[in-house]
Amino acid sequence: MRTIAGRPPARSGESNAPAPSSSQARFALALAAGKVAGTASRVLGVGGGTSFPGAAARWVDPHVLQKAAAASDARKVVVTGSNGKTTTCRMLAALAQAGGLRVTQNRSGSNLLQGVISAAVQATDLRGRMDAQLLLLEVDEATARLVMPQVRPDTFLITNIFRDQLDRFGELYSMAKMLESVIEALPASATVVLNGDDPLVASLAPQAPAHRLYYGIRADSCEADRASTQVPEHAADSIRCVRCEHLLSYRAVYLSHLGDYRCDECGNARPALDIAVTSIRPSPEAGSEITVETPAGTFPLQVPLPGVHNVYNAVAALAGTMALSLPQSLEPAKTRHAMAGLRPAFGRLEEIRAGERQVVLAFVKNPTAYNATLREVLQRPGRKHVLAAHSNTAVDGEDFAWLWDVDIEQLVPQLGSLVVSGTRAEEVALRFKYAGASPAAMQVLPNRSAALDMALTEAPPGESLYIFAGYTPMRELRGIMQRRGWVPPSWKE
Amino acid sequence: MTSAPVTVRICHLYPSLFSVAGDRGNLFALTQRCAWRGIRYSVTEADVGEVPDFTQADLIMMHGGQDREMTTAARDLAAKAGPLRAAIEADAVVLAVCAGYQLLGRHYAPPNGPPIQGLGVLDAVTEGGPTRFIGHVAVECDLGGRRRELLGFENHSGRTYLGSGAKPLGQVLAGAGNNGADGTEGARYREVYATYLHGPALPKNPWFADYLLSRALSHRYQDFGPLSPLPDQVEAQAHAAALRLALHPATKWRAATAAVSRIGRELTGASRG
Repeated sequence: MRTIAGRPPARSGESNAPAPSSSQARFALALAAGKVAGTASRVLGVGGGTSFPGAAARWVDPHVLQKAAAASDARKVVVTGSNGKTTTCRMLAALAQAGGLRVTQNRSGSNLLQGVISAAVQATDLRGRMDAQLLLLEVDEATARLVMPQVRPDTFLITNIFRDQLDRFGELYSMAKMLESVIEALPASATVVLNGDDPLVASLAPQAPAHRLYYGIRADSCEADRASTQVPEHAADSIRCVRCEHLLSYRAVYLSHLGDYRCDECGNARPALDIAVTSIRPSPEAGSEITVETPAGTFPLQVPLPGVHNVYNAVAALAGTMALSLPQSLEPAKTRHAMAGLRPAFGRLEEIRAGERQVVLAFVKNPTAYNATLREVLQRPGRKHVLAAHSNTAVDGEDFAWLWDVDIEQLVPQLGSLVVSGTRAEEVALRFKYAGASPAAMQVLPNRSAALDMALTEAPPGESLYIFAGYTPMRELRGIMQRRGWVPPSWKE
Repeated sequence: MTSAPVTVRICHLYPSLFSVAGDRGNLFALTQRCAWRGIRYSVTEADVGEVPDFTQADLIMMHGGQDREMTTAARDLAAKAGPLRAAIEADAVVLAVCAGYQLLGRHYAPPNGPPIQGLGVLDAVTEGGPTRFIGHVAVECDLGGRRRELLGFENHSGRTYLGSGAKPLGQVLAGAGNNGADGTEGARYREVYATYLHGPALPKNPWFADYLLSRALSHRYQDFGPLSPLPDQVEAQAHAAALRLALHPATKWRAATAAVSRIGRELTGASRG
């Protein structure tokens, strides 16, 4: 067995010769271990089996992901970026299913290596065959470096790059460099789908052999401009030209640093968009009505989730779907139906009925996501009863300095009541105080359960409680509400 | 105290170029603590290509950025150098953080690429290191005759070494500080206060925010007395929480391993300075 670790694994496409039998056996054992671990964790009710199976399978065979991917002739798509991964993947899965593909994906935002392996293990039978025709993987930016060489995807989609947990990733540009090396390693047969409105993403690895598809918003005379401004908001980053560092000028900014940019110094500008949103109108249902121009025709879509960030998610998903060769052609009517039927991913402005009150659960992990959520919430009528919670964990990071880039100042005038919680409740309280919230009207309850009870008491019946929480406290609060029977478990979605 | 309305004039250098993670929290701390006391304030922003009138500034602040932004700022700072140096010699208060700190030193030598010249106001040189110092920091400062703790978060790969012309801002209780080796954090010269504690350090260290404000007011008004106290319970809780985080076993473990490797280097005679 010792020889296996050093042997380059068999790659699909090179030959159909079976891998050495010991390697095969180990692979099968790893799949079995992963499946047993998944069943066990589900039966025991711990974690819903989103990362434990991956850990178990990898412990048995470190190459399990590589082998599962190589053994499968499913199309493989990897989605990464700072914001919108989960929602983009959900949309992409719905569109691919409408186009006739059986899809397997890692759900519930388990996008670190173990979550990815769990998904691959669960989709593969004990003989190493994958039933799915599309393996769709949402991958954390820092994990992309590990996952990409093992999965060798046909399509690699990057949603955007925002400052996100700088204490984990180091600097913005070192992450861009890492993504560049990943893109450069893709073969010419692969497609890289890039957000053309993000100056940093659009300029990644321009010489790479992979085919490039750019998506974005090209709303010339539409109401998107009402939501957009010409000045990037405070949290905006990478607003300098990546080539010459001159300040970029924007014809339109749709979200943070995303928009129609050009550099007046060196002429670097947004690339021509292959898949472009050409109109955005508020939908009478919910969310937005958008028109998307593509090489395959015009797609009028209803995006059922609110906000311009979800317009980006929708066009990213459509662009990702275009990069796949679907068994059935992508028809506008079918696509529209598939997109309109989506529900928000858990914790993404999720509406929860809590007895006589409505809870709106928002997962906020960085200034851009937080500001987009606030913008959406502030458009709703009435006072805002708020529970804000952040904790320092391996997932959420240690440094909450970014809270000071969130425009809490805009929320404070509409505050009805405020409870802050999490292991970093004191930092959250401090942020709200300096945004103008009265310390006398603020309750600091680090315990999540006590905080939820207090916040619900503070919101009168018939009003909404808005929860703004980082990943870990969001999962904890959702777990409490799940035990009370208000929401279904996240892994059953 | 003067009877005419009191105004502190803040000059914020590179507000868009140097704002990496919540750095504007420092500005919010200064302006809110003025507003709560009825002290007026003005904030002049000066980005690349703009040279403000530094003689009209009582408190100048400059934060951190990444290497790329730092190169841009260093080029631009050359145009601001003369009047900025004059203001510093005239005892204007300066808060310089991360890259802002490094740019006030003699130079910064990044791991790859040519060295970036600094203003040379601080007798300090910075070298890019192979790893980043990331984590909670506790620093003991002796300012205005009182020993107090400055708490925050550091995230830098630069190692700064002070020469004889600069004093450290304080001694590290937990965290890496200037270089992870000599136990110093930050630098001082006249009324310049430089630190690696980034972004929103002032809100959770209200004593330091008030110290800077009172020095800035003394710069403008000769007869300015002590600042009136504020109810700082929220700040005190955040300060206590930050101290707990900094003194957490994991942080102390990092500090201990750094100390061991320092001793190791000293024993093998490989110390740098």
